[in-house]
Amino acid sequence: MPLDYRRFNGPEDSVSYKIYTKDYIKPYEERYNELLDENGLRKDGRALNEARSMFARTDMVSQAKGSSYVEFKKTKVVCSVFDPREIPHQNEFSQLGQIFCEVKFAPFSCPRKRRPHAPDNEERALSVALRQALEPTVCRHLFPNYQIDVFIYILEHDGSCLAAAINAAGLALADAAVPMYDIITSCSLAVIGDKVFVDPTEAEEHVAKTSLEDSNINHGIVTMSFLSELKQISDFTQVGSMDVECITKAMEVLEVECEKLVPNFQRIMVMNVIHNFEQRKRLDDEAKEREEALNKKMEEWKQLMSAG
Amino acid sequence: MAGLLLSSTEKVFIIHGVQDDYRSDGRSNIDYRPMELETDVVSHASGSSRLRLANTDILVGVKTEIDVPKPDKPGLGKLEFFVDCSANATPEFEGRGGEQLANSISNMLERAYHSPHAFNLKQLCILEGKQCWKLYIDILILECGGNLCDAVSLGVKAALFNTRIPFVKAVLMDGGNVDLQLSDDPYDCKYLDVASGPLLVTLCKIGDKCVVDPSAEEESCSVVSLVVGITGNPKFYVTAEEAKNMPDVELKCSMIGMNGPGSVAPKTFKDAINQGMVAAKCLDKALGQALLRERQENTSFKKHSYGFLK
Repeated sequence: MPLDYRRFNGPEDSVSYKIYTKDYIKPYEERYNELLDENGLRKDGRALNEARSMFARTDMVSQAKGSSYVEFKKTKVVCSVFDPREIPHQNEFSQLGQIFCEVKFAPFSCPRKRRPHAPDNEERALSVALRQALEPTVCRHLFPNYQIDVFIYILEHDGSCLAAAINAAGLALADAAVPMYDIITSCSLAVIGDKVFVDPTEAEEHVAKTSLEDSNINHGIVTMSFLSELKQISDFTQVGSMDVECITKAMEVLEVECEKLVPNFQRIMVMNVIHNFEQRKRLDDEAKEREEALNKKMEEWKQLMSAG
Repeated sequence: MAGLLLSSTEKVFIIHGVQDDYRSDGRSNIDYRPMELETDVVSHASGSSRLRLANTDILVGVKTEIDVPKPDKPGLGKLEFFVDCSANATPEFEGRGGEQLANSISNMLERAYHSPHAFNLKQLCILEGKQCWKLYIDILILECGGNLCDAVSLGVKAALFNTRIPFVKAVLMDGGNVDLQLSDDPYDCKYLDVASGPLLVTLCKIGDKCVVDPSAEEESCSVVSLVVGITGNPKFYVTAEEAKNMPDVELKCSMIGMNGPGSVAPKTFKDAINQGMVAAKCLDKALGQALLRERQENTSFKKHSYGFLK
């Protein structure tokens, strides 16, 4: 394990004091009981099948070709997309363009632990899943031998970060005017027993991932990205343990949730176009005004010249 | 696959064959090619296996080590998967070429073995909160002929089935420090319970249907494949008399992932998962029988080694 020498790491076998706190070593039952209150509502007041409200905008990073910022309450993700460039270190010509994805957690983004600078396993897995999700939606034949860079930075992680990352990347690609077949949206859910938590928070994901050994209940997390116009699943990842029935049910729920996001995305993109048009019009008007003023001045000078 | 050229008519032939559940080598869509499996092949490992499926050759070794459990999971042991794509397999793996593939396979295995329904980490506990076993599962890819995930998962399950863990004879506590005394006798050991260990089934989408264990020609007709991890049935890993008393268990998915640049329709996806379940069940049964036979031969010293990498 390479160490980060720019900071003081402490002795090799030292561990964070936080792992001995009450909050960290809470038993499974207590964690599970905390998720729902007596009315069957979640901690943040949502119903089980209610996704978090989304905030999304484009044009976050001025240097990037296209960028976006997506926020699902406490999950906050920035994405930037850069111009196509030639694939580095490649000998063979590739007919299809490539998408290079990199997902990075901010060091302070996760509860419980600090994220290291070097990319860890989870980040690498997320990058692979992101590329898998984006590949079917981008018209890759239009830029052979080139790659598009997609960078995701997770500022704050409170569950379903892969779904948020895919949503942000789809929006940023559209903002960068990369030709795409369809709008891509994504959503995730957590299953614990017979309860299905749509768009889970970190605490819910944590309980869904770890289950009691002797119980035989379904548990796990499913993330799906969907091309709603083409009705195609571009990525599907599941961890945990579920029977087939549970998976098909999850798929149907996620399909509906993914489609719910599409109008929002369309609205953002249309607003962008309108905004750009208005700006262009304003610039044109200003240019016209300046030209008129200049012409007026010219007339005046001409008169002066002829008079003089 | 390098060096493979298929004309469009040949591709159409394959696609039409798959549509009618009949493949060019005579298999149906859920049939595997014959494979060779041998356990206990590496003398320095606690458990090992070698699997050959068509041209894919996998060697798995399990090493055990004593470790301290995580503070939030005091009663559980640890598993660590490591895949090594050696450049012997294909020249593409030279240098850091195989790293991405190796990472994705070890990641899939980790996810598949994550759930306690798939593998119970409690059996690796020695002294709660103090000591546990850590299993290092090293997977060596000796030859790469496609369908790696399936072959690796079979090899891993076989190696874990073969793994022996020595009994602890005495535990001395010395002011918070634990001193273990392990049994020296190589036959004084316990086997792990891996009967419910997951098998990964790769379903390659060709046309509207999916096939398991695609050949190189079939792989070139497909743009996307689904990897489904399905837990095993403990019934297949005990003798017939014992199996009668065991309750029926429902098979569960412990991992799903997608590979390749394509996408699938929801209906195809559902069918594929059901198909994967059926294929995994057959595969698990065959694996269970083979492993039981191997173990019997091992314990009665009748085992005849068929040679390594012939």
